[in-house]
Amino acid sequence: MTNNIYAIVAKVFSIPESQVNDQSSPENIDSWDSFNGLILVDELENHFNIKFSISEIIDVKTVSDIKRHLKNHNVTLDD
Amino acid sequence: MERKLSEYISLSQTIDITKSSKKIKIGLLSSFTINGLSETLTVKCSELAIECKSYVAGYNQYNQEILDPKSKLYSFSPDITFLIIDIRTLLNEIFYHPYSISSSERKKIVKEKITELENLILQFKKNSNSKLIIFNFSLPSYSPNGLIETKSEFGFHDMINEINQELSKIVKNESSVYVYNFRQFTSKFGERNIFDYRQFFIGDIRISFDYIPYLANDLMGYVKPMLGLNKKCIVLDLDNTLWGGIIGEDGFDGIELGQTSNGKAFVEFQKELLSLWDRGIILAINSKNNFDDAIKIIQEHPDMILREKHFASIQINWNDKAQNLKQVADEINIGLNSIVFFDDDKLNRERIKQEFPEVLTVELPDDPSQFSAVLKELNDFNVLQQTDEDTKRGQMYAQQRERNRFEKSVSNLDDFLKQLDIKVKIKKSNEFLIPRISQLTLKTNQFNLTTKRYQEEEIRNLSNDSKFIVGCAQVLDKFGDNGITGAYIINKNEKFWMIDTFLLSCRIIGRGVENAILSEILKDAKKNGIEEIKAEFIPTEKNKPAENFLSDYGFKKQENFWVYNLNNNIKSPNHLTVEIENDK
Repeated sequence: MTNNIYAIVAKVFSIPESQVNDQSSPENIDSWDSFNGLILVDELENHFNIKFSISEIIDVKTVSDIKRHLKNHNVTLDD
Repeated sequence: MERKLSEYISLSQTIDITKSSKKIKIGLLSSFTINGLSETLTVKCSELAIECKSYVAGYNQYNQEILDPKSKLYSFSPDITFLIIDIRTLLNEIFYHPYSISSSERKKIVKEKITELENLILQFKKNSNSKLIIFNFSLPSYSPNGLIETKSEFGFHDMINEINQELSKIVKNESSVYVYNFRQFTSKFGERNIFDYRQFFIGDIRISFDYIPYLANDLMGYVKPMLGLNKKCIVLDLDNTLWGGIIGEDGFDGIELGQTSNGKAFVEFQKELLSLWDRGIILAINSKNNFDDAIKIIQEHPDMILREKHFASIQINWNDKAQNLKQVADEINIGLNSIVFFDDDKLNRERIKQEFPEVLTVELPDDPSQFSAVLKELNDFNVLQQTDEDTKRGQMYAQQRERNRFEKSVSNLDDFLKQLDIKVKIKKSNEFLIPRISQLTLKTNQFNLTTKRYQEEEIRNLSNDSKFIVGCAQVLDKFGDNGITGAYIINKNEKFWMIDTFLLSCRIIGRGVENAILSEILKDAKKNGIEEIKAEFIPTEKNKPAENFLSDYGFKKQENFWVYNLNNNIKSPNHLTVEIENDK
């Protein structure tokens, strides 16, 4: 099991992993709309076996925000 | 195992429609966000070689879409439309505050809501030929009244139950409208799983992502029979499928059936199979075994639920499994694509999958305790309408097997026919018979003079038209009731009668029944002072069995028609008895 968050983001938004970085956001990923955003939440929750709060979900603007919240849930990431 | 919604969404972007042989247009109307449902349906359709186009109405636009005859939904002209309204939308503030009003006010609101739903159904039917599938309402596990909810006078839960019951009543007599039991869906998967507060607050999603694929699976249950993809027959292996162990090694007393925990699992599985047989699914056996050993279990084992009389075809031998399966299909005269195959052995399954990909080969788990659950998960046996003949199908095919065996034991055809004790009951069309007569015109391909197809409504109109006679025939013999298996429509002109439709279900061809029915029509015409009967044979790819029927009977060709002069003798076969039922 990979804890590579870029791979998960890439899969959900159907883009190459190389295009994902900490600054990735709905601004620079076309397929990152509100619905796919929720799908991403669902994927992350299942993958790391955690539950985000609603304020955490709404707060996410970029991939680095996701990393920050994951760390609050004591998830260790690969990088 | 069902796949994740995200997987369906990415698969939906790579569908190859060139492989599709069938098409369907699906309309989706809902009172909340149902993103992902159309993508999942599209993927599930493509996996069955169906090209699916869908129209998803705007958020909570279902009223406008249905009430406006010029709406986008109607111009999309769907074949099937799912109307998904949830209980929060329907009851609005009352959902939260059912006890802020009196019980009589609650009753009044329920009445209004039912009228609202009834009107939507009515308007939809007026504007569209699409089938309409309307979701019923899930029952919240919570009530502000707590444990005295069940004692409350027309309480919160009574309201929802009443709406659901009334909805079913409204739809019962609408042939193109169905209720999808969403309440049952919620109780199967659980309210806490289906409803996710976060998804609700963020996106007004009321069926959470994880359950959209399961919902789509249920909805495919409607799509399959619409396109004739429903299954009609289950072909079963014996050893380790209907009982535990191998009869050839373990012997009559050594197999596991009943008694032990493992044995109970096989009994349970057989009971579920029998319940499908009860409603018309055909059963058959395909097993590599010594015939005598295996049939002894079926006939004599005290814990066996399925007996010889339940099987329409029994192939117990050492032949190749695929060859046997083909034999089953030929014997019963059904397509391989209407067969489901159960076998515990992976190699046998692979053999069938490779040889006949059109057969649904079920992935049976190694653990027999799961067999019943696997069987019940299949949503391939659904039909959208059911006649008496459909429910008796399993029984009729098993009788057919007896008949064939009897035919082989009698030396010549005449003796066979005489000993069959065939009785033909000729009936005039009535409200109970109309669905079956329509079904026969829609499905009969082989013994059919004109292959004219009539929907129920058309048969009803013809039955009420004094210029037409619509009739049918029930055929019985010593092995049982074949049901309504023949039908005809006569167009009565003043000078002559014209046979518009004359057909016979293929399973009773060749027993003189066709001649018996025809001669009754001729006698009836003569009684009415008619001199000539005209008939037509319209050739198709499949109706060769009916090609020589008219000339063999004595009809003469005159230009495009076959004509029988009623001054001639009217002959009828003497090996069968005919009964005319005149009650209208």
